[in-house]
Amino acid sequence: MLFLIEDAINGILMGSIYGLTALGLTVIFGVLKVINFAHGSLLMVSMYAAYWTVALTGWHPYLALVIVAPAMFVFGYYLQDIVIKPIFKAEQDVREPITVIIVTTGVWYILDNLTLLLFGPQYRTLQDNPLRGRMLEIGQMLISVPKLWGFAAAVLTASGLYLFFQKTRLGRAVRATSLDRQAASLMGINQYKVYNIAFGIGTATAGIAAVTLVPFYNVFPTVGVLFDIKGFIIVVLGGLGSIGGALLGGIIIGLIESVGPQFMTATWTEAIVYGLFLLVLFVKPSGLFGVRYDW
Amino acid sequence: MTRRHYNKMAAAIVLILAFGLPLVVRSATYLHILVLLYFYAYLTTSWNLVGGFAGVLPLGHAAFVGIGAYTSTILYLQYGISPWIGMLVGGVLASFVGVLIGLPTFKMRGAYFALATLAFAEGIRVMVENIDRLGPFVLNGPRGLQIPPLKLGLGNLVFASKEPYYYIILLMLLAVLALTWVIARSKLGYYLNAGGEEPDAAMALGVNVARSKLTAMAMSSFLTALAGAFYAQFTLYIHPKSVISLDLSFEIAFIALIGGRGSIAGPVLGALLLRPVSDFSRIYFGDTLPGLHLVIFGVVLILVMIFQPRGLQEPLTRAYNRLLDRLAPGQTKELGT
Repeated sequence: MLFLIEDAINGILMGSIYGLTALGLTVIFGVLKVINFAHGSLLMVSMYAAYWTVALTGWHPYLALVIVAPAMFVFGYYLQDIVIKPIFKAEQDVREPITVIIVTTGVWYILDNLTLLLFGPQYRTLQDNPLRGRMLEIGQMLISVPKLWGFAAAVLTASGLYLFFQKTRLGRAVRATSLDRQAASLMGINQYKVYNIAFGIGTATAGIAAVTLVPFYNVFPTVGVLFDIKGFIIVVLGGLGSIGGALLGGIIIGLIESVGPQFMTATWTEAIVYGLFLLVLFVKPSGLFGVRYDW
Repeated sequence: MTRRHYNKMAAAIVLILAFGLPLVVRSATYLHILVLLYFYAYLTTSWNLVGGFAGVLPLGHAAFVGIGAYTSTILYLQYGISPWIGMLVGGVLASFVGVLIGLPTFKMRGAYFALATLAFAEGIRVMVENIDRLGPFVLNGPRGLQIPPLKLGLGNLVFASKEPYYYIILLMLLAVLALTWVIARSKLGYYLNAGGEEPDAAMALGVNVARSKLTAMAMSSFLTALAGAFYAQFTLYIHPKSVISLDLSFEIAFIALIGGRGSIAGPVLGALLLRPVSDFSRIYFGDTLPGLHLVIFGVVLILVMIFQPRGLQEPLTRAYNRLLDRLAPGQTKELGT
């Protein structure tokens, strides 16, 4: 029984980190109404950035945040500004431009394979960092310390985003644009600037997620694909555009992955996750905790 | 000569070239590349029935390639049933699955359909990787299935040389192109177009959008599965990462989109332009610069989407029309897209 609780706790912790990786996806969808297929690749780029920052400077892994998050904000800002904005301008009447999916998939392929070209396919890990393999002992249970910090980061980031969107002037402008981009433009909001900022914020949260992942996770060129597809599943489970939903969706996935192997072969849990995803998609596309969108 | 004559002449030249090519190209490597080129052109043309005409974005067509490949291979290996029959069985199975996945998803818009097809294909891959035996059928999990090239001949769809494969896939490609041509001019084609561009308006006019999309999906997945069976017989070895991979799903979509979705020539054109890029960069830079062709694909895809959203077929069609204007000036334009 105890090991089941231990698995569940570790599953919730890891799941919240999955949720953190998916936060950016849901923010970007909430505002731009498009699914950023390159999100996993942006996470992968962030992970490499965090890895190299720590490996080259010898800082504490979490200190990399001060470089990675702002750098990723700028990266996302200009990615949207240069690559995606032209599509929005060309397809102004389309409510949910499919072309953006295509273009972001192109970005995915470029980033993943450029990384492969530059750094090679090998797995990289931050050797002898203070967090690696650290465990917290509670009774007879072992809880991973870096995952615990990841959980804290996820909750903090989600609350921070929530407050930003609810309380600040810029956050309100972003929400106004997400509700009706034409009307927002008429009110003097620069629609495309808001898109850039939302994309930057989404990418910066991928940066935060990367920093929490790097101390205990392998870094390799296709690591993003793993999180990309998990991210899609999480945001649809939690309701596209919902910040709390992304965290809860992540925790569900984490629980299935950690508790599932007690009852079946570990690799089957992945199939269960896909099955659950399709089920939700078919039965309740607005997600389990759905913000209702007109899908 | 009129435009119609020139059009016929151009078509005849292309056909003669295509059929005559194996007489000139004797190298097995180049023939292999050509067979794969036609294979991709076939896949993208089949994809185009849904991804182009129906105006949605399927990102999981590898699932149907896999269903076709595995069905025909299992029937052939375990029951000695000719791959030609296995091909059709796989096709029927795939179209059944295609309808099943389309039924709930076609009511949704854009992103959800793309996500559902993607997750579905990945789910199938994970399942095949995890299953060694499914009832009486041996799947061999991640190790895949190998076809021993013992019994050669047309009936078994196993040949010692590449030429027969070349002609079979060429004929398959021509057939699917002809089918697309017919559909584009049929009521179904117009329904699909209307439903893809303005679903609400089309429905208001009494077009059953969901139903016509389902029909297209059934046909597309059926045709895709046929190619899967062909691929299995051509390479004689299939495994989940080769026939059900995400990369295959994306490559099909990318090629069709770059060539120009919704047009008949676009997907073929895309394959003609992009397959050599990927093959040659793999041959010459595969060791030193892995993944180079995918970077090129990505860049081309983004540039095309920004500057030529209807694909590369558009400027080429315009150039062809200008050429015809010069050859046969002063004539009224023929209808045709």
